Amino acid sequence: MPTDNSFATIDQAAWEDLVARFDGRMWAVARAFGLSAADAADAVQGAWLRLVESADTIRDPERIGAWLVTTTRHEAARLSRRARGEVVSDLDVPDTALPDPTAAVVDADFGRQVWRRLDLLGEPCRSLIRLYVLHPEARYAQIAVRLNLPIGSIGPTRARCMARLRALVEEEDTP
Amino acid sequence: MKEEYLLAALRMGAGADPVPEGVSAAARAVFGLRVPGGVPAGPVDLPVSPGARSAADSGTAQAERAQPETAHAGTAQDETTRPGTAQAGTAQAGTAQTGTAQAGVRRFSADGLVIDVETTVTEGRMEVAGQVSPAPGPDATIEVRTPHIAKVRTPSGSGHFAVAGLPPGWVSVVCHRPGHPPVFTRWIHVHP
Repeated sequence: MPTDNSFATIDQAAWEDLVARFDGRMWAVARAFGLSAADAADAVQGAWLRLVESADTIRDPERIGAWLVTTTRHEAARLSRRARGEVVSDLDVPDTALPDPTAAVVDADFGRQVWRRLDLLGEPCRSLIRLYVLHPEARYAQIAVRLNLPIGSIGPTRARCMARLRALVEEEDTP
Repeated sequence: MKEEYLLAALRMGAGADPVPEGVSAAARAVFGLRVPGGVPAGPVDLPVSPGARSAADSGTAQAERAQPETAHAGTAQDETTRPGTAQAGTAQAGTAQTGTAQAGVRRFSADGLVIDVETTVTEGRMEVAGQVSPAPGPDATIEVRTPHIAKVRTPSGSGHFAVAGLPPGWVSVVCHRPGHPPVFTRWIHVHP
């Protein structure tokens, strides 16, 4: 990581270190929007491109990780909206000075803590979230068959279960 | 806490759906797309369609330079034309939006230059045309870049340029002028 006040002087080795540290988190965030592998790859690459074009404006290298995750989320949300047929701008970029501090939860260690919280939920939440998390390409129809639930209930049940899990995590273990 | 972050953390904690190596390779290659000393051109209002493509016939091919080999993260492009991208001249004149006034047309500005960029996708290939104003002179070059390939053109006397046959996806235009720092547009995402 560069130690001066500007990100513009970063070298290849430091860049590759950034990629190694954050590309998994960025990919996970893009996929969490339900993007296909191709669209998720575009979202991640877009965040890296935003970083090189914004290098001169980034003054706090310690916040680059949060900035990358925030920017990936932004690009993924844009691609997700476009996939639903919405008209979206491709030039609306978040402020480089305002990375989302909650992006820090996108982390494997924190994820393992959340898995332990998941065990506190009853059924069908536990099984539904497990399927949804472990099989990103799974359709609601497949989950409905596996859990013997009406297909129309999968979306609302998933939303309700994720909200309960989020509440559990926030009340007990927000980093 | 955003639900997407929670879901991402769960997947990372389980080792599910890890980032493909091609995505990591593409990210490493982005380092080579920096423009050292360059001036970023941000989007600006484009109130009236300039019809960039209509006059973009005189930019002459000068060089085509392949970017370093990278595994493409975006996988295969289909061979269809998305509605709204093949015909760029359909917008309503007089509609002011930041950086874009019609489908596929964006305006950028920095360092006294205005760069209009118009993109179209036909049969799975992207065409990029545009105009640099004021015309940058005979010694200037225009570089149209994707993460995978860069093509260089000498702009016409009126500052027009055009490049065809690019893969859809991320694209940026750089104007190189002797005695001036290069001016580069923000990266644009063009969907196939």
